[in-house]
Amino acid sequence: MEEGRAERRRRTEAPSHTQGGPRRAGVMTDVHRRFLQLLMTHGVLEEWDVRRLQKHCYRVHDRTAAVEELEDFINNINSVLESLYIEIKKGATEDDGRPVYALVNLATTSVSKMASDFAENELDLFRKALELIIDSETGFASSTNILNLVDQLKGKKMRKKEAEQVLQKFVQNKWLIEKEGEFTLHSRAILEMEQYIRETYPDAVKICNICHSLLIQGQSCETCGIRMHLPCVAKYFQSNSEPRCPHCNDYWPHEIPEVFDPEKEREAATSRATKRSLRSRQH
Amino acid sequence: MLQKPRSRGRPNSQAERERDWGRGAAEEAPSTSRGAGSSQEARSASSQGSRRAEASPEVGPRSQQQLELKVAELVQFLLIKDQKKIPIKRTDILKHVIGDYKDIFPDLLKLAAERLEYVFGYKLVELEPKSNTYILINTLEPVEEDAEVRGDQGTPTTGLLMIVLGLIFMKGNTIKETEVWDFLRRLGVYPTKKHLVFGDPKKLITEEFVRQRYLEYRRIPHTDPVDYELQWGPRTNLETSKMKVLKFVAKVHNQDPKDWPAQYCEALADEEARARPETSGPAPSS
Repeated sequence: MEEGRAERRRRTEAPSHTQGGPRRAGVMTDVHRRFLQLLMTHGVLEEWDVRRLQKHCYRVHDRTAAVEELEDFINNINSVLESLYIEIKKGATEDDGRPVYALVNLATTSVSKMASDFAENELDLFRKALELIIDSETGFASSTNILNLVDQLKGKKMRKKEAEQVLQKFVQNKWLIEKEGEFTLHSRAILEMEQYIRETYPDAVKICNICHSLLIQGQSCETCGIRMHLPCVAKYFQSNSEPRCPHCNDYWPHEIPEVFDPEKEREAATSRATKRSLRSRQH
Repeated sequence: MLQKPRSRGRPNSQAERERDWGRGAAEEAPSTSRGAGSSQEARSASSQGSRRAEASPEVGPRSQQQLELKVAELVQFLLIKDQKKIPIKRTDILKHVIGDYKDIFPDLLKLAAERLEYVFGYKLVELEPKSNTYILINTLEPVEEDAEVRGDQGTPTTGLLMIVLGLIFMKGNTIKETEVWDFLRRLGVYPTKKHLVFGDPKKLITEEFVRQRYLEYRRIPHTDPVDYELQWGPRTNLETSKMKVLKFVAKVHNQDPKDWPAQYCEALADEEARARPETSGPAPSS
């Protein structure tokens, strides 16, 4: 999976410094700069929108050029970003395996992007929610359980009513996802904080048996306890009529999800866009 | 999993963990040099750390990696701060990022500025000469279609701010607040009424735009009832120009900028002044 590849890249390219400035770097043009600028306005962006963004940047600066393959385009930018200890990281949503991208920080362990948007007590609320999510079996923490910890927060005292709004702020800013009164981590948070989470909660953290990345939501083997992301399950058991646990070979008892199909996604999105443009034409 | 080198070292106790988190919250920036403890860790990470003198405040030579990391932090700090459109104070930079790398602050800032321009297309400029506050100017021209692919509002190229900037310029570079509302009323924008798009227009104009340094808002003495005057702020002069604003006004009226000869002359003179090489102060934005 992509995360594995990114990991491997980091491993082999141990920073060996000579002069400052970009090593074996790609070249930045205005196409790349506009892409980065606009990408930064999103906390996290789905692949289809990333491609749209890339095309837009070519259209603005270099109409005649062929649009570079996205992976190469991003690798090029990442080679320049390396000396700044940031990278455009690719991941996938845990529920349906949609590829997503985010510009993440490699050098620090704390949540600096969050830190500039939230107060001390709000960040502490997030941390409490994060801990509950990591410790949970399902990857979800109930609103009630989070709000019960409101008295333990650092900083200015926060009432439960206020905390409810702060949780909604986290959802709006794509740090948390809410489903039926329960909260889990948004793919943005997973991309940005995986390193931090793995280091800070080494015992509680769950790892996917297939891609070896951080796992918040997934399926687990009832016999031996290994876990897999839903999209990893989908890929691993694709067209396998008798799915068995890769570790203990016991029968895999859960429903096997569909592999994410970008084509179907594009069709759905185009019909959405057509409806949208029709609506706007009516104004 | 290979760790990217982190000068703070790995937090392995609850107290350390909480400190890191709290640090992030309280001081808003990743830092490697808060207090002697962390910089000690930083220096011991490099092979030259042992050469550091015990008692004297002089710092030992820093590794290339530490410098690179410090520049990276500075770049990040500037990007995050600028996203809020608040000018960045030198004192904040020194406090939250530079720490005991203070002796090489000018070099670090220069390197950070270079990276910001090369990688992101942002130019670091001082808001006003000797003000010791900075903003980022976009070297890329904003394009209308940007709005479709961006995740936030973006800098106001059209909308309320441009209208106010236009008003100010057309009225001779200063305008009374009462005159602004007289005009905006005709567009359905009132100081006391919530607006569907602009929210609280009074707060936006007299507080938000002022804080972002797009506008100056000053009380006119000896006025009863109290009146204020509005002028362009330092950020406006850096991000746009009289000619650009005049072109915007002309476009709105479906006319030509030359239809306002006095303002057109003034805008031309401004363009000429910008084209002349500057000895001090920020370079023209485009």
